[in-house]
Amino acid sequence: MSTLTRNLRVVRRMTAAEIAQQSVYRGAWIIFMLANICMPIISLLIWRTALANGAQLPVDERYITTYFVLLGFVTMATSSWMAAFLANDIRLGKLSSWMVRPASLLVKFVANNLSEKFLKLFALVPMIGIVWWIFRDSMNIPAGAGRWALFAVSIVLGAILVFTIDILIAALAFWMDDVGALVQARVIIASVLSGAVVPLALMPSWSRGFVDHQPFRYTVSFPVEIVAGQLTGRDLLAGLGIQLGYVVVLAVIARLVWAAGLRAYSAVGA
Amino acid sequence: MSTLTEPLDRNWLQKQWRHVRLWRRFFAQAVVRETHYRAHFLTTLLVGLVQLGLGIVPTLLLFGFTQDVHGWSRAEVIALVGVYQIVTGLIATFVAPNMNRMTSYLTEGELDVVLLRPVSSQFYLTLRWINVAELTNVASGIVVLVIGLVQSDLAPGVGQVLQAVVLAGCGLVLLTAVWSAMSFLAFWLQSVGPIGVVYLSMVEAGRYPLVFFPVAVRTFLTFAFPVAFATTFPVRALAGDLNWWPVALGVALAVVAMTLVRLLWRRGLLTYSSASS
Repeated sequence: MSTLTRNLRVVRRMTAAEIAQQSVYRGAWIIFMLANICMPIISLLIWRTALANGAQLPVDERYITTYFVLLGFVTMATSSWMAAFLANDIRLGKLSSWMVRPASLLVKFVANNLSEKFLKLFALVPMIGIVWWIFRDSMNIPAGAGRWALFAVSIVLGAILVFTIDILIAALAFWMDDVGALVQARVIIASVLSGAVVPLALMPSWSRGFVDHQPFRYTVSFPVEIVAGQLTGRDLLAGLGIQLGYVVVLAVIARLVWAAGLRAYSAVGA
Repeated sequence: MSTLTEPLDRNWLQKQWRHVRLWRRFFAQAVVRETHYRAHFLTTLLVGLVQLGLGIVPTLLLFGFTQDVHGWSRAEVIALVGVYQIVTGLIATFVAPNMNRMTSYLTEGELDVVLLRPVSSQFYLTLRWINVAELTNVASGIVVLVIGLVQSDLAPGVGQVLQAVVLAGCGLVLLTAVWSAMSFLAFWLQSVGPIGVVYLSMVEAGRYPLVFFPVAVRTFLTFAFPVAFATTFPVRALAGDLNWWPVALGVALAVVAMTLVRLLWRRGLLTYSSASS
């Protein structure tokens, strides 16, 4: 059996196990998802008010509405929360017990990520559905299944990108004692540059070139833009190309850093 | 020296005074503890400043596209963000450290020990722990408020400042009451840890003036989740737009909210069956 199929089977089994375990907290998932859509809804109402008040935005009401309705879903779908946990496992030596197992410690985090997202979907999708229904008259709904397929692909790539960035930050724990500040810095930087606070389309024109090409755009904003915006076929192709490029480059770097880290690793509590 | 047979307090006033003295001790202890964790103080300060900056980003971008929104200029909204930062900073200092412990109080049986003490258990659970470092956010909020006021050419008189302070105080009490009520649900729901997350993301609505929201949401943000009293009304008072009626309404609402929370706490205690014994 090849390594890939074995790893996939391990991920599948562990995801199922995690789902069974995590469903104990189904009440908590509903509450977390409620908090997850609070900010997008507040922003949505604010920017619609600004538009209705005559603000000259570079985008129209349909874009703003669709953007913020989808935002909560996309931030959840592409999120990763493992950096602090993974860094802890490295620092406290829990990694040791995984090094003698036939699967990487990262597999555990993949399974955890997939299982929590699976459970959150059940809480989040009905909420998004209600908001969508309230604003149904000013939503952009792209014709044809093609855009939705691209949306799905882009979300998967975005999720991999965020996960890879988290591995990179956590892997610094092989050399540093405390990566807490870095984790926090990543969260703060990403919240603005990914478009989770304000749509990147509203960023000032002098920041355009940088904002449009930095990696965080491809973790949240770009997937949303595929549905909400008027990206041409050319923009879509270029965007997906850049996104794939970031995924590949960061994955290679993460792999190298992880391998170097494993060599530098001296177990604690072994 | 009093003997053991003598009652702890002879009257209601003495009982309140004893709680004030106790709270002063809590505060003094928190200050001493903070001096041991200077790095915590510094990181809280830095994180607070970054979050304040990020919180203003949407407002700055918004006013890049328009001069005013429903009669609010950019400077007035900045003053409002300052008030928001002050009120949420006070909540983070005096209330949040306690609310975040509510689940463990109830599920680990720590409440048992509190109930044995000669002190109001609700007072103890709501105000025991103080995070002094968060006061830096109150300070930065004052700076932002002053910047906003200077830019907007507002020169509030003594009466208007008084109105604003009373209204912000009412907002503080009301928001604390709402969070308490949400936390006391732990009596029935067992775990309320995540409720704090919902609360904090809803408080974010206070970063913007009330008129930025549709009418139904305004009502909600005034009476059900009263962030309006914490930010919009104080700034309007500073601008001289308010008479004393909203102030009276705020005080009345604060009294009602405190009474309701008190009742909820009593009701909750009845259902409490210790977790440790």
